[in-house]
Amino acid sequence: MSASSGSPVKKYLMIWGWLAGLMLLGVFVSEAPILPISKAAIVGLVVVLSTIKAGLVALHYMHLQSDRRLLAFIAIAPFLLLAAVLALLFSTRFVRL
Amino acid sequence: MSYARAMVVPAAHTSVSTTTGIPNGKLGMWLFLASEVMFFTGLIAAYLVLRFSHPAWPGSEGHLSVPLGTANTLLLICSSTTIVLALAANHRLPAAPGAAQAGNQMGAVRGWLVATIVLGLAFVAIKICIEYAAKLSHHIVPSTNIFWACYYTLTGFHLLHVLGGVVFNAMVLGYTASPAAWTDRGKRLELAGLYWHFVDIVWIFLFPLLYLF
Repeated sequence: MSASSGSPVKKYLMIWGWLAGLMLLGVFVSEAPILPISKAAIVGLVVVLSTIKAGLVALHYMHLQSDRRLLAFIAIAPFLLLAAVLALLFSTRFVRL
Repeated sequence: MSYARAMVVPAAHTSVSTTTGIPNGKLGMWLFLASEVMFFTGLIAAYLVLRFSHPAWPGSEGHLSVPLGTANTLLLICSSTTIVLALAANHRLPAAPGAAQAGNQMGAVRGWLVATIVLGLAFVAIKICIEYAAKLSHHIVPSTNIFWACYYTLTGFHLLHVLGGVVFNAMVLGYTASPAAWTDRGKRLELAGLYWHFVDIVWIFLFPLLYLF
């Protein structure tokens, strides 16, 4: 386990810096129209930044990176189910919005 | 006063009563979080379906304060860091009771837990006393329109989870008062941390979906 090998404090503080930095970058990108891209692209970029932040928290703060693989499977399973449900939901064959 | 480290990691070294090699409490917490992921993604998916069904929505009526949302996001990010630092301090406790540095390390665990609780309460205060209060003073309620129905539903359920996390963290803080209680129940610090990180992750997605789009 990473937390028990060496001092993890420096790593945790570095992750905090990334989380705060990525969050502020997302706010800046969406609020200050500096990028010559569409609103939809900005939305996609901010969601990607949020996914990276969630991944950092799950991997390092929740120790999924170094913990037993079964826990990673448990964490991923809902997203696979969600992907299947959303695919069904947005399929015009089954649902008319 | 003598504290023994509450053995939370490595899992293989703990008393394990499952064939998975993972302590029951930790496995149970992860399964609970998996169900919570489906709960929140169901709500978020409903919001996204409604949002993309109406390109102009919510319009100027759906303006939320980005600085307040940013401040709340920073609070939760900081609180995630403080609770993982509490766990790290717990790992530095000596395994054997009675070691001289145990008191100092226990003070660090206690301090980081208090910081986590204070940051969580600050999030709750901003959400209720400033954001909700401002909306309600302008008679903006869930029935105002579909945007505000989504806003109150998503942030309300998240707020309840934050409050639950604060209570859980306070319970773990209470265990630090007694060496015997900590040796017996201190491993719940890791479970409280897992739950708190989940609450943080949910907000990481709610903030841009509600405040920035």
